[in-house]
Amino acid sequence: MRARQDQMKIDFLPVLAVTVGFLTSAGMSVVAADAPENRTLGFVVQGWMPSVYETKFIDECPAGLNISNDEIWWRTLSKAERSEKTQDGLITTLDRWFLAKSRGPKGEDVCINPEVIKDDPPLLTVEGATSFGVNLDGNTDGSATPKTCTHENFISPVGVPGVDNQLYRLIGCIYGFRDQGVIEINANEMRRTSGLAMILIEVTDVDDAKNDDDVTVTFYRSIDQFPLDSSGQVIPHSSYRVDYKGGGPRYGDSLKGSIVDGVLQAGSGDVRLPYYGNYNYMHPVIRDMQIKLEISDDGTNSQGTVAGYYDLEQYLYLTGGLGPVISTGNFSCPAFFDAAKRMADGYPDPDTGECTHISSAFEINAFAAFVVHPDQSSNMETAER
Amino acid sequence: MLISKMKINIGQIACVAAAIFALTACGESEPQTSGAPPDMRRLTSEQYRNVIHDVFGEHVEIASRFDPLVRTDGLFAVGASKAIITPSGFEKFYNIARSVARQAVDKDNRAVLIPCAPADALRANEACSRQFFTEVGRHLYRRPLTESEMETAVSAANEVADQLNDFYSGIEFGLTGLLVTPSFLFIIDETEPDSSSLSGLRLTGHAKASRLSFLLWNSAPDDMLLEAAETGALHTDNGIERQVERMVRSPFLARGVRAFFEDFLDLEKFENLEKDTTIYPAYTINTAESAKEQMLRTIVDHTVNQDAPYPEIFTTRKTFIDSHLGRVYRVPVARPDGGWEPYEFPEDDVRAGILTQMGFLSLFSHPGRSSATLRGKAVRELLLCQKVPDPPGDIDFSLFNDPNAPSRTARDRLTAHATVPSCAGCHKLTDPIGLGFEQFDGIGQFRVAEQGAIIDVAGDLDGNQFADAKSLAQAMHDSPSVPACLTNQLYSYAAGRAPERDEREFVRYLEDGFSDSGYSLKSLLRDIATSDAFYAVSEPKRVDDGVVRAASFNDKTKQELGS
Repeated sequence: MRARQDQMKIDFLPVLAVTVGFLTSAGMSVVAADAPENRTLGFVVQGWMPSVYETKFIDECPAGLNISNDEIWWRTLSKAERSEKTQDGLITTLDRWFLAKSRGPKGEDVCINPEVIKDDPPLLTVEGATSFGVNLDGNTDGSATPKTCTHENFISPVGVPGVDNQLYRLIGCIYGFRDQGVIEINANEMRRTSGLAMILIEVTDVDDAKNDDDVTVTFYRSIDQFPLDSSGQVIPHSSYRVDYKGGGPRYGDSLKGSIVDGVLQAGSGDVRLPYYGNYNYMHPVIRDMQIKLEISDDGTNSQGTVAGYYDLEQYLYLTGGLGPVISTGNFSCPAFFDAAKRMADGYPDPDTGECTHISSAFEINAFAAFVVHPDQSSNMETAER
Repeated sequence: MLISKMKINIGQIACVAAAIFALTACGESEPQTSGAPPDMRRLTSEQYRNVIHDVFGEHVEIASRFDPLVRTDGLFAVGASKAIITPSGFEKFYNIARSVARQAVDKDNRAVLIPCAPADALRANEACSRQFFTEVGRHLYRRPLTESEMETAVSAANEVADQLNDFYSGIEFGLTGLLVTPSFLFIIDETEPDSSSLSGLRLTGHAKASRLSFLLWNSAPDDMLLEAAETGALHTDNGIERQVERMVRSPFLARGVRAFFEDFLDLEKFENLEKDTTIYPAYTINTAESAKEQMLRTIVDHTVNQDAPYPEIFTTRKTFIDSHLGRVYRVPVARPDGGWEPYEFPEDDVRAGILTQMGFLSLFSHPGRSSATLRGKAVRELLLCQKVPDPPGDIDFSLFNDPNAPSRTARDRLTAHATVPSCAGCHKLTDPIGLGFEQFDGIGQFRVAEQGAIIDVAGDLDGNQFADAKSLAQAMHDSPSVPACLTNQLYSYAAGRAPERDEREFVRYLEDGFSDSGYSLKSLLRDIATSDAFYAVSEPKRVDDGVVRAASFNDKTKQELGS
């Protein structure tokens, strides 16, 4: 028979719960998304597409859409050459994109060396008057300013004049950049599945997620990939760690802004962003960038516009290295290069006077996210138990 | 004597003033019990894995699934004593045994797992075989092999080694044989005569070691415990207490506590949990696994690492999360690429305790919506040990499943249950509780409205009003039925059976001790593991022809059975 000895309750002393949430006690700062009472909102950009205004019957491109690199190359070949170069038809259009690109006089890749070809048909560009976008230079007549070159303005679909979107003028008649065109769809898909160049948007100093006249919007790169649900869609409210190097974020440019009735607007300013798509990785700078983001009522997602002056050299680097998708993108690289130089309307080179940037507008959609900053020591304890 | 607490022992001082504390007076004696007939319980799949991994290493893979146990009296541990092995079930065990044995003797492992090397690996080697089976058999059977068992294993190994010209193939075959015998697959209550006990029987030292080890560590006894069994130490109070204290302080206690709560809370349901991912895109298999793991980590950390009061598992804001759960709870995680981290919900958060975690909320919901009835039933049956009758067979569910009904919230829909006499009786038990959780959807995500209507989560728990899930959790914390239920179920789990009639006093004695300890689970485990009742056995059941029906499988009995 056993007897119990010390069955008295002895815990008269209070037991203090001293544990603080791990993330704050470890010196880590983590910001939460979508709760009105929080000080910070976070988003991860999923979709990034150029804003291309299209009419039902392609009225904006009265001469039609551009023909492809491949088509131009194909027209130069005799039947015998066609047979020889395609192994008697075994190599089809989608597979001979590299052959078509290498049509320089000495076999140069004309997308990397567009200036070796001078006689391609000129690029067909947008001739319509309407475009999505923003008035970036502050005037409505397209006249040159200290920061811009003369160019033609657009009118927005709702009738606002002075829209600067020369990028649309450049790419709007190229099948690959239009709705359902493969170039940007492929780029988005590559970003979604690879987790490369994921843009985080952190909105700080938020007193009211619906209306706040003074917020700060900062752009980072995430080192974490999108978590996907069973149907392959991004799951909102996930956490993403900011890419840090040397004690600071690798990106991190900020814009000042406001929130009005749930619509975030910020800018303008110069913002460097990560970019990956169609096998190209780069860090474009969008100058005088503005962002407008309409946040859903529950804070789970948002969509809107980013506009600004895109570095032309970087944009040409991107389009020059598109890879296989150029086979269905349908444009001539030399013609594109030539047209791009003419369309550029921002930041003239002080020596040559040629504009080095091109006004642009992009549609983006972003999901609610937690933006996670590591502590400065870079030792992140996970406290596995 | 029960193990003394390691804290300042005011109890000894309080003994001087014993009259003031009559209800918890010092020196309260354990009520005498006669125990139950010796029995045998099939290893659960987790116990099987733990034993194999403890003996052969974590790297040994056990890929197959076992035949399920039947949940009896609310526990699989009780069902284990009713389990049989069907022919197809035996085939599964045999295939697993072959696989384990093959891995144990393969070139990567034999140098570590086989303590000797034969002079000629192409031939049988009796000495080395004996050495191996002596060591391994003792751990697998939880006792030394008998001479006839050793002879069986060694001669089988020798025969195969000779036929295949491979010593290790012989070992593999002999080991396979060990792994498919009842002595391995079942935890057997072997007995021996004891004139001092009521029944004239007591469990052998090894049987006591097995009971102790499977309760506290959910695995076979280790060397120290086997040694205590072999020296007779487990037949003394001091011997038992020393081992119990060692085992309670060990990190392996977490494994034992996890196993109990997995059974107690019926978490095996997670294996078949399905959710409509078009409604709940955040739900994935990984999320479900994380939800289960969160519950267990919370409970183990609270009751084992912190040794905090058991009822606080319903109110604690401290838990653990990973990236999958972060998305469901909409909280940030520091390591989105994986790994667990401690997390504390803010004081004003809607969540506190395990009942507001995704695990409980999703487990007791439908694939596409929440269920106040399932959640309320789970609380009643699992946590309060109150049986809710099954619905009658002639219920017309069309009344409740009408998609055109004007009701928008679960409370509206369930009002219909309350008006149908054949439904009201049981739904009055479940729904007032379950509706308290309605602000959490079918996977535990928080919401304030359903189909545009604000969700009302007020209710009562047996007369104790609550305004929301947190105050419901507080009501659970305060309910005396909660620790009483845990005590009863933990003892049932330990014994592998529901308490016998003459053990009711003993269970109350355990409840009193649990309360006096401040609801320390470790203290309750100590009380059970060091009690006489836990080891008591009565006479085996016999029928008129004198054949032993539920017998212990010691040598003497095998002789009686002519085996």
